[in-house]
Amino acid sequence: MSIKTLVSSTIVFSVLAGSATMSAQASSSFNSQDDSVTVYSSRKEHLIKPLFEAFTKDTGTKVEYLTGKGGALIERLKLEGANTKADMFMTVDAGNLWYAGSQDLFQSVQTETLKSNIPAYLRDPQGLWTGLSIRARTIVYNTDRVKPEELSTYADLATDKWKGKLCLRTSKKVYTKSLVSSLIYHHGKDKTADIVKGWVDNLAATPNAKDSHVMSAILSGQCDVGLVNTYYFGRLIEKNPTAPLKIFWANQDTTGVHVNVSGAGVTKHASNAKGATQLLEWLSSAKAQAIYGSLNKEYPANQNVASDDVVSAWGSFKQDDMNLSQAGILQADGVKLMQIQGYR
Amino acid sequence: MLSVANLSIEYQNKTVVDGLTLELAQGEIFALLGDSGSGKSSTLRFIAGLDNTKQGSVELDGVRLSDHGQHIVAPESREVGMVFQDYALFPHMSVFKNVSFGINHLPKSDQKKRVSELLSMVGLQGSEDKYPHQLSGGEQQRVSLIRALAPAPKILLMDEPFSSLDVNHRQQLTLQVRQILKETNTTSILVTHDRDEANTLADRVGKIKHKQLTLV
Amino acid sequence: MEKHCFKSKIWISIVALLVAMPIFVVAFSWALPEHELWAHFSENILSDLISSTLILLLGVGVGVTLLGTVLAYLVVMVEFPGRKWLEWALFLPFAIPAYVLAFVYLGVFDYSGYAQVWMREVLGLPGFDIRAGSWAIILTFVLVFYPYVYMMTRASFKRQKVSMIEAGKLLGASPIRVFFKISLPLARPAAAAGLLVTLMETLADFGVVSLFNYDTFTTAIYSAWGDFRSIEVAAQLASLLVLVAFFLIYFEKKARGQAKYYSADVTNKKPYHATGVIAWLISLFVFGVFMLSFAMPMLQLVIWGWSSVADEWSAKYIDLITSTSILTITAALITVALATVLALPGRCKQASIWLKSVIRLATLGYALPGSVMAVGLLYGINQVSLINIHFGGESINHIIYGSIALLLFAYVSRFMAIAYSSIEASAQQIKPVYTQSARLLGASRMRLVWQVYLPMMTPGILAGGLLVAVDVMKELPATYLLRPFGWDTLAIQVYELSAEGLYERAAVPALMMVIFGSILMLIFQRLDKKSSKGL
Repeated sequence: MSIKTLVSSTIVFSVLAGSATMSAQASSSFNSQDDSVTVYSSRKEHLIKPLFEAFTKDTGTKVEYLTGKGGALIERLKLEGANTKADMFMTVDAGNLWYAGSQDLFQSVQTETLKSNIPAYLRDPQGLWTGLSIRARTIVYNTDRVKPEELSTYADLATDKWKGKLCLRTSKKVYTKSLVSSLIYHHGKDKTADIVKGWVDNLAATPNAKDSHVMSAILSGQCDVGLVNTYYFGRLIEKNPTAPLKIFWANQDTTGVHVNVSGAGVTKHASNAKGATQLLEWLSSAKAQAIYGSLNKEYPANQNVASDDVVSAWGSFKQDDMNLSQAGILQADGVKLMQIQGYR
Repeated sequence: MLSVANLSIEYQNKTVVDGLTLELAQGEIFALLGDSGSGKSSTLRFIAGLDNTKQGSVELDGVRLSDHGQHIVAPESREVGMVFQDYALFPHMSVFKNVSFGINHLPKSDQKKRVSELLSMVGLQGSEDKYPHQLSGGEQQRVSLIRALAPAPKILLMDEPFSSLDVNHRQQLTLQVRQILKETNTTSILVTHDRDEANTLADRVGKIKHKQLTLV
Repeated sequence: MEKHCFKSKIWISIVALLVAMPIFVVAFSWALPEHELWAHFSENILSDLISSTLILLLGVGVGVTLLGTVLAYLVVMVEFPGRKWLEWALFLPFAIPAYVLAFVYLGVFDYSGYAQVWMREVLGLPGFDIRAGSWAIILTFVLVFYPYVYMMTRASFKRQKVSMIEAGKLLGASPIRVFFKISLPLARPAAAAGLLVTLMETLADFGVVSLFNYDTFTTAIYSAWGDFRSIEVAAQLASLLVLVAFFLIYFEKKARGQAKYYSADVTNKKPYHATGVIAWLISLFVFGVFMLSFAMPMLQLVIWGWSSVADEWSAKYIDLITSTSILTITAALITVALATVLALPGRCKQASIWLKSVIRLATLGYALPGSVMAVGLLYGINQVSLINIHFGGESINHIIYGSIALLLFAYVSRFMAIAYSSIEASAQQIKPVYTQSARLLGASRMRLVWQVYLPMMTPGILAGGLLVAVDVMKELPATYLLRPFGWDTLAIQVYELSAEGLYERAAVPALMMVIFGSILMLIFQRLDKKSSKGL
């Protein structure tokens, strides 16, 4: 390629890119004037796309979405301020929802539909965000090597009998952080520090990057027990029904299983707040909640909707009734504590 | 034609040339001898306007090019031709492109004519489309010579142009170059360390000795 | 001449300072100190993180230097079976994103991976935690990044005169002694340049380290940002990374020393012909590296992809491929154009410490993790919006937010170092005598640039452009944060699927990336062959 070709192609491409920008610009500003709803989501595309498609089919309202990591999207929303194109922010983990609320990114939405569909403890008291699905984080064990009678609480996994038998997901994952926040809430910092230290001492392997890795490790015999979100277990069992793996509901005699939510709120600077509210209400409806459950093996937030068959088979359990905003408030303490105890 | 006055040159923090003066007449071929590090190449590069120096002036064809060791006229405007030790032919250009590089302001047909004339002059007719790496050392040397001559410079400077050729070639080519320079009536300076070469090519031979130019 | 320098100073400064903008934003974070979090970090985690980062850098540095130079030497200097295609095959790992390679390796070699299962069940060996310690992650990085050193030292070995090696041989030196005493010292600047790129990539990596759950300095950056919501401390920590990069560059310059490597003629004559067992051992070694770093992971991806392509393939992939291509090519062209402006030889540059410094500054972005770079940019734009420039009735940041321009800006800032080092190396090879003879033939600066410099720098420009293109294709964190609606790339698709543990499906877009990257490397090969003939 000669230099002249190189230069001329640079020019051509710059122009192309420029016009692509312009047209993207034009189409999005066009969109912000019509009735489509724009969503920033840290839920992955394959989990939200079917929902949005169903919504468009029901209502005729189009949904545009941009996926990203929760923390990064919050930062983007903050920096975009009044210029944001987002009408709704959707994320996993109550800590993230609480933090987005505390940064003044949501507006209050408290409609009758939402109140009747979603119980109060899964909604922000000021109506900034609404929980849309429940995920439980509990104990998973290898049925060949562990009897359910040996299991009891999260704290019990820190005792000597599990030395070299425990696998955990990394402390950097938000689900771990929220669980430890709930321990701080129930037991105080000192006791929680002891529990975390006990976990670290019992580890059979470096903490895993993902829940699915924790379960593979348990299956392959590297360890016997671990902590996972139930829907990861659900996906594994669906693919491999004979796997010698079961979940155990932790803390049933005490505080209950730690639960978390995925949820959404209407952004403060939404240009289509009406459409976003409509979408939020629709997501809380029985129809949408059923899709939620079947897509990701989660528990519906709408109590009138039955769980997916696979999920119901695990039985009912007592939930931790800690107010979920605590997960956000105590998160920094939880992380510090894990870092001090060497929980990677 | 050329006058260099009061030239002083430092080389590795030592004054190697002190107050050199040189006058050349139109068409005269001058050879500058000297040991390595004696400042002969630096003298040439100063005349070309490539390196500044401590002290000295250059006047060419009545125009002052440099004064007090600083250059008034940039190399590209001096009309000075130069043949480098390793020829410095542009490797990505054909022989034609190389030779016509300095006469690109002429119409294409004139360029073609001129290049073809010059190539026949050095016995390389028809080599326009070859690339430097396809030429032998002697051929490259000749192309480099006619490239420098193409714009008809007021003076031609040659820095050890024959040093990388074998002995047989060298002698033959030296004579040929002298003939060409005389034919074109080009004022030239040859820098070399080879006394025979200097005597064969030049009308006048000087040597830098004890920081001064002495005629030999 | 004074005037000329003023003009080029202005131009180069504008380009360089613009490219370095995120660096300034990151540095400005020190205006907002946050003592409490710093106390926690320095008391509890920083010393561990620094030592684990140093171990990683040391291991990866030694590893890539050894592997890269040895492979390049073998391929350039020795004739052995399969040499011809292996010479090019060894470039291919460039096309695999580091995080993809990491998830494949973990899938195969982790305790539950089938390699270890086989070892335990068939060979009866005890299982082990591959992620404990640092050897496995070092090995992964070495296999991902050795092509940088390989590429640069290969070019350098090619320029070494065969006669020089033969002189060494005739003086009775063994091939190994020739390597250590003649070839390696001459290739030192090239090896140092490759090493620098590798270390900066390693410093900025987040994907591989999080899959291995190995804590490095970037872990602290993400923790400050993600856990403690302090973008300021994150930026302060990131600025320390930039400082480290600055010193690395300084040492690389020192390693280069006064060595100016002008090009000798490239020949394809091999001074050594390996025969018999040795020849096959060499083949086996080089082939083994290729297998481990490319063929084996590819095979795994194909197996995974095969089982899921029916589920995963949809029309969406047309969009993904289109946006990946446009971003990749546009970013590469812009980066290369600007890097060329910065790298063009010039009298003014040699004399000006100011220019040298701003150019250095423009190449530091490579050490910034992509997401830090992205947030730095958003912050910078926010500052601009305070001045509130209006543009056709709309405020300027409204136009810039979520536009492709911002993302391209991030790519240019981040990958400038790659383009610049490659292009600058080719500029360094232009002997001053070419400039001088062109000027004496009356060439203006314009002609000098267009007809002499640019054609002679073409190999470096092409290599730089392709490397940037491959890097942009693989880039994840900045793309994830800054992309406008509808500009999802293949890398994002890989991440979204693999983050949910759906490796089989993630293999589909990952394979597409590898194919796309391999095509780019193939183009590079053809151009490289062509240009080495011309020069």
